[in-house]
Amino acid sequence: MRIDRTHRPWLVGTVTAFLAITIAYTVYALRTPGGPRGGTIVGLTFGVAGYAVMLFEGLLGVRKKVPIWRLGRAQTWMRGHLWLGILTLPLILFHAGFAFRGPLTAILMALLVIVVASGLLGAILQHYLPRTLTKRVPMETIYEEIPHVRAQLRDEAEQLVTTLAVEAEHDDKLRFRESYERSIRPFLNAPETAASPIFESLRRATPAAFHPALDDLENICIEEHQLSRQRRLYHWLHAWLLVHVPLSVALLVLGGIHAVMALRY
Amino acid sequence: MAGRTRTTKKLAQRIDLHYFKRMYPIPRWKRLLTILAAGLSVAWLGWASLTGKQSAFNAGPLAKGHTILTNNCSSCHVAADFGTKITETACLSCHDAPIHQAKQSFTPACTTCHIEHQGAFQLAATSEASCTQCHGNLTAHIASFNSGHPDFAAVRPGHAPDPGTIKLSHQVHLKSDLKGPNGPVQLVCANCHGVSAAAPTYAEHCASCHPLVFDSKFSEPAPHQDTKTVHDFVVKNQANIAQSIEAAERLLWQKTCKECHTLTYPAPGERPEIPKSAITVRWMTHSEFDHNAHQLVACTECHAQAKTSNRTEDVLLPGIATCQKCHNGSKYSAEVRCSECHLYHDRTKMKPALSVHAIADFAR
Repeated sequence: MRIDRTHRPWLVGTVTAFLAITIAYTVYALRTPGGPRGGTIVGLTFGVAGYAVMLFEGLLGVRKKVPIWRLGRAQTWMRGHLWLGILTLPLILFHAGFAFRGPLTAILMALLVIVVASGLLGAILQHYLPRTLTKRVPMETIYEEIPHVRAQLRDEAEQLVTTLAVEAEHDDKLRFRESYERSIRPFLNAPETAASPIFESLRRATPAAFHPALDDLENICIEEHQLSRQRRLYHWLHAWLLVHVPLSVALLVLGGIHAVMALRY
Repeated sequence: MAGRTRTTKKLAQRIDLHYFKRMYPIPRWKRLLTILAAGLSVAWLGWASLTGKQSAFNAGPLAKGHTILTNNCSSCHVAADFGTKITETACLSCHDAPIHQAKQSFTPACTTCHIEHQGAFQLAATSEASCTQCHGNLTAHIASFNSGHPDFAAVRPGHAPDPGTIKLSHQVHLKSDLKGPNGPVQLVCANCHGVSAAAPTYAEHCASCHPLVFDSKFSEPAPHQDTKTVHDFVVKNQANIAQSIEAAERLLWQKTCKECHTLTYPAPGERPEIPKSAITVRWMTHSEFDHNAHQLVACTECHAQAKTSNRTEDVLLPGIATCQKCHNGSKYSAEVRCSECHLYHDRTKMKPALSVHAIADFAR
């Protein structure tokens, strides 16, 4: 999601809410005998508000499962997830009075910090990487299709070399095929680890009749290279979710148990 | 050769239309890790519940004195209509908490001032706000112990002198080479004052250097008791010497007793009256001072006047400025909260607690 000028109302709302709760907390902290803590009325209010925002944050996952339901625009949900999510950290810190204390509350606080930090990292990556992807991977395909497309590219290259209809010496054909097997095929099989073939030198080493075929092979290699780059960028774009989502769920589960136990005791 | 082309049709044709039915690495790992994280969370707390490790749910470490209750939440959290709550009964079953004073405007709940689950600090050390919720008017002129707090009443300008009646020069007693029972001595404060707040007594602290031997003809010193007993002692021992009772007594009163006491005679020829020593044991009646906690400082660092004081009337209590040198509110200073010196509960009214707990409640 690109964070642009259209986010300004959310930014203003978040900053305003942050200032309001900070002022409320400061007054409460100064006036409470024994200092601020989760068990007071104000402390509980911060805690309830923080957990409510967390639940809303978690609902984004549910919203994605039912995209056709009329639950508001996906963009609005995403913006709410991003900007309200930032508020959970001050809300919960104010709830706890900036103390980690018991094992459960300490783990909850650590989880919250990691979840918010990973979310912010994700927001930064999702702001910058899509543009990079568009610019550096013009031959982009659907991520899940990459293995399938790559297999087709390999087949296309093999077919191109096998059915080469060029009037040339038999030795030249053999040499061309040998060059393909030595430098192009390994790259197509493992573009992440093998060295890119140097087509300029291949052109110099082969007769001109082979150059159109070499151009096609180069085009296939360029697409392969881009798909490899797309895969790498996609991992950057989504790998943070491996931290963010599981820990968010753990946070919601443990937070719920903490809320029940805290209200009970 | 026509050359390779990437038309929309060609691109569309190479798409596997069933791709969305398969799970790819990142979504698969995301799902697995999510299930694992949720499972571990529930398993941890479930295990803690089953094995009675209530500390897992603890809202924070208990104060040092309550550490033993860590795995027995119900010691303090008593069942109520909804869930549990901390009742006054739970606190009072182990601690008697006498009231502050008869005219107190309200009695706060124990947990208003004594905040638990905040770590191993002293639970009795309450915050300033605990005091100012009633004594809010103090904050108008007392910002802190170091700002606006008046000096101690006993040393304020115009204060009353020491009411003690014993003629004592601290300066003389701190001189070197004083005449002791076994040769020259150098007295230190603790020789007379010890580290307790009790007043020095003649028998324990004075007699060894100041025996009541007023006449070498008497084989033993006079008793340090009321004048009637002393008179009887003189009468009893006078039979052995050629001296009148009046002469012996005159020597005793005028030479020996008068060295420390101020004598008054109700009528000529009668026995003198000796006023009570009236040694002030506690100068600061509205606060507590623990000499034991201050032993790392030499006595004369605070009671500097003792080295030069020649009069009983001198009040040797240090002023607040002396305290503020250490209790100054800086990061590494000694404590400055109200509760450090001023007690809330009137301990003179304290009753023994009537606990209902068994050892088994805590031995987990």
